[in-house]
Amino acid sequence: MTFPLTDELMEYVRAAHPRSLRGVEEARQAGGDDFGPVVEMFLTWLTAVRGRQGIVQAVDEFVKFSTEVNLAQARYEADGHYMHKSFAELLADHYSSREAMDDYLWGVFLTNVLWAHHFEICLFYRNRFLAKLPGAEAKIVEIAPGHGGWGVWALHRLAKSRLEGFDISPSSITIAGSVSAAAGVGGRARYELKDALDLAKAPPESADAVINCFLAEHLERPAKLFEVIARLLKPDGRAFVAAGLTAAQVDHIYEFRRESELVKLAEDAGLRMTESFVGSPRRTLPKAKFLPRSMALILAKRKGEFL
Amino acid sequence: MSDTLARLNEVFHDVFQDDTIVIARQTTAADVEGWDSLMHVTLMINIEKAFGIRFSSSEVAGLKDVGELADLIEARKKP
Repeated sequence: MTFPLTDELMEYVRAAHPRSLRGVEEARQAGGDDFGPVVEMFLTWLTAVRGRQGIVQAVDEFVKFSTEVNLAQARYEADGHYMHKSFAELLADHYSSREAMDDYLWGVFLTNVLWAHHFEICLFYRNRFLAKLPGAEAKIVEIAPGHGGWGVWALHRLAKSRLEGFDISPSSITIAGSVSAAAGVGGRARYELKDALDLAKAPPESADAVINCFLAEHLERPAKLFEVIARLLKPDGRAFVAAGLTAAQVDHIYEFRRESELVKLAEDAGLRMTESFVGSPRRTLPKAKFLPRSMALILAKRKGEFL
Repeated sequence: MSDTLARLNEVFHDVFQDDTIVIARQTTAADVEGWDSLMHVTLMINIEKAFGIRFSSSEVAGLKDVGELADLIEARKKP
């Protein structure tokens, strides 16, 4: 099989961003035989939205975003805490800038497949979560879809499913909508500008699946997020949640240090972890005290046991 | 400018632990073994300390060669 868009991306990284090549090669190694098909799928959606030039633009944005992450991690190593403490600071400095958010979201879109440990999370998502969802007309809720790639992947695999996505960022609503249309699943996706935590008042037990990737660490009180997930999920539903631990980013507020903290939040909300995966970058900063990790959890409602 | 390059060269020696490195304005990542994305950030943090300045992430991401880096340091040093 050939993967022309993937080849084009690799060629551009090699030519324009040689410092980033090693990390991208690590992602290719982590993906193995899955690397080409998965990256090609993401790039097919990307180029359908932004044109062929979109690869160059998104790689530039990916490199900028990754540099920002590495720099934040280096400052975290020196300071011992994340840069920001409150959501209000971020709303003013970061989330309210439309242009910055567009670049940010496309940069993050590529981290799914160009960071080795995120590629591993993609495979966990596909093989352990999506593969087990009911095929027939599943109702999926995506909390904070960002670029939309996770939910669109679910719609792509589950031909009769429908998705509702809620995000606080106008950029997310536009980009996720355009990615879903590009993937040919736009008719089954609806995105709404809404604080996902307001879903605490949404109809209970209404979703067969809930997807939430990399939001918890952006919140001051992530417990509320897990309460929302528990409320939305049907008794036999499944949720996929991913979050970063000791992984600094300019817009990370809540510092998870241990994997058990995420499990406890889920349990306290009435959920049970059925499977998990933790990945970390292949390399860290020299003399690093913190190991940045990304953890993915598959969650179910707790029932028939002590609450 | 030559002072800046000379001081930069010392920082390169420290970060890459290689006293044989000789940088010039046209030096790029391809010329220094191990100059990948993580070492780039480590280099920038050490340069910040050495020169008493602070970079933004977009400045750090966009640097193409040592010449651009030296120019950025010079611009930052101006009152």
